[in-house]
Amino acid sequence: MRNRGLEGDGIAPYIFLAPLLVLLAAFILYPVIMNLVASFTEWKGYGAMKWIGLANYKSMLADQAFWTSIRNTAILVCYIPLSVAITVFVSALLREGIRGWQAYRAILYIPNLLGLVIIGVIFSIYLRDDGPINLALRWAGGPTLRFLVSPWLAINSVAVIKVIWIHLGFGLIYFLAAMNGIDPAVYEAAIIDGAGFFQTLWRVTVPSIRFAIEFWVVFNFIEVFARMFSLIYTLTQGGPGYATFTLEYGIFIQGFTKFRVGYSSAWSTVLFLICAVISVAQIRLMRRSSV
Amino acid sequence: MRKASSIGAGWRVLVQVFLLMLVVASILPLYNVIAASFKSADEFVANPFFPPRVPIADNYAYAAINGRLLHYAVNSLILVPLGLLVYLAVCTSAGYAFGKMRFRLRLPLFLVVLFLLIFPQLLLATQVFKLTSLLHLTNTGAGVILAWAAYFSPFGTYIMTTYFTDMPYELVEAARMDGASHFRIFASVMAPLAGPMIATVAIIGFQSMWNELPFSLLILQNQGSRTLTLGIAMMRGEFGLRVPILSAAVVIAMTVPLVMFLIFQRRVTLGVTAGAIKG
Repeated sequence: MRNRGLEGDGIAPYIFLAPLLVLLAAFILYPVIMNLVASFTEWKGYGAMKWIGLANYKSMLADQAFWTSIRNTAILVCYIPLSVAITVFVSALLREGIRGWQAYRAILYIPNLLGLVIIGVIFSIYLRDDGPINLALRWAGGPTLRFLVSPWLAINSVAVIKVIWIHLGFGLIYFLAAMNGIDPAVYEAAIIDGAGFFQTLWRVTVPSIRFAIEFWVVFNFIEVFARMFSLIYTLTQGGPGYATFTLEYGIFIQGFTKFRVGYSSAWSTVLFLICAVISVAQIRLMRRSSV
Repeated sequence: MRKASSIGAGWRVLVQVFLLMLVVASILPLYNVIAASFKSADEFVANPFFPPRVPIADNYAYAAINGRLLHYAVNSLILVPLGLLVYLAVCTSAGYAFGKMRFRLRLPLFLVVLFLLIFPQLLLATQVFKLTSLLHLTNTGAGVILAWAAYFSPFGTYIMTTYFTDMPYELVEAARMDGASHFRIFASVMAPLAGPMIATVAIIGFQSMWNELPFSLLILQNQGSRTLTLGIAMMRGEFGLRVPILSAAVVIAMTVPLVMFLIFQRRVTLGVTAGAIKG
């Protein structure tokens, strides 16, 4: 077989890639670069840009909404270890051949199908002060939990809904597939040795799916930093106050309701840098997986 | 015969109880919204939790007609398939190039695609909006279709690339020997062979586009051009809209993704494991 070298296929590959490259350049690359430029200007999103140096960054660092957004995202991040623990635990249960495990896996996946807008609207009804949960609490003689009114409960509700409630079913499919790749003989040996469920989980399952767990953590980081907008927009609209602002939501408010696009671009720079780090982490994982 | 298990028979009962509790937690909000959608406004106040005593369909009629959801659903059913077509064409051909062709910039360009996989829509939204208005695509289907195809394409390209990479190179080699061009190989050999994976990517793409909010929110500003998802999101903000009507709207919007899941359940499961990441 003759070796055609690296340039073997001439111009043809670039023709196959042209549609992708044009779309990416126009809708992703160009926006990212222009954001960076705009972050040094005063700009309403139309008309002329006025160069103002680092002023946007200075006002951002003095902006309470910015720091609240960072804190809120940190709260969301704190739920990631919990998500790992719950998802791996439930997957390990289902792996044991529990009766109806496929039905459980399918039903628990349903929240992933609905989309964040629908979920946001559903929970905006469900978590109201006079909604079903609070009604049930009142019947049981408990207090009214003001999920969407108390700042602390609001951000934690958002976190539980997204990181735990939605992601569980997605993680089950993913981890069950990963656990399926483990040699059954290892489990049989563990049982013969008299290892209980938790010992097997800790000594056999977890070490064997370490890679999948790493992926799961990175996936959750992506979701938390880059896929929260639609849920927050429909569930809390960032409120009460700034209580459920994230960087994404702040960019939206500054850019599209206050028309401070230059200023919102400074927020974008921060979000870009964080996402770039996550993206590099993900690429490293992907390349390891394809070796 | 049951496979070896480290959970005793007594514990299995407890596990079932625990799993049923998870199911209830997953389903209860959905049950509640469905129940509410069949209640009159008065009944909802008196009975927000239990099934409706007197089920009514008025909320659906109101949401579909006065709330214009029927109109929005038609918009979605036109825009999403068109967006999907563009998306699949872009991702499949790019995946073939990355997976089966040899060229100097293969690795660098592929890394760029992977790098762009995760950026949040709000990071791009301002400039995407500016770009669409520059191209006179604001309030047009073409604007939102291009934005969707572009935004979701790194994911589809990644999946298709891994799929084509795993296909035996001999297929390409043999066809090349016969003098077939890459375009012929792609169109008549590789793309048909990739059919099942294209279907999986299509289903994930469908879900992503059907549920997409930020770009449609910015590009489709005419009320008449809203998608179903955008229509629901805007309804949520309407002052004084009654919960049962909003619930009916949500149920209408839920049906399409749920029916899709019931039909394509196996493929959806495959998609999750194929990507390990979600677009």
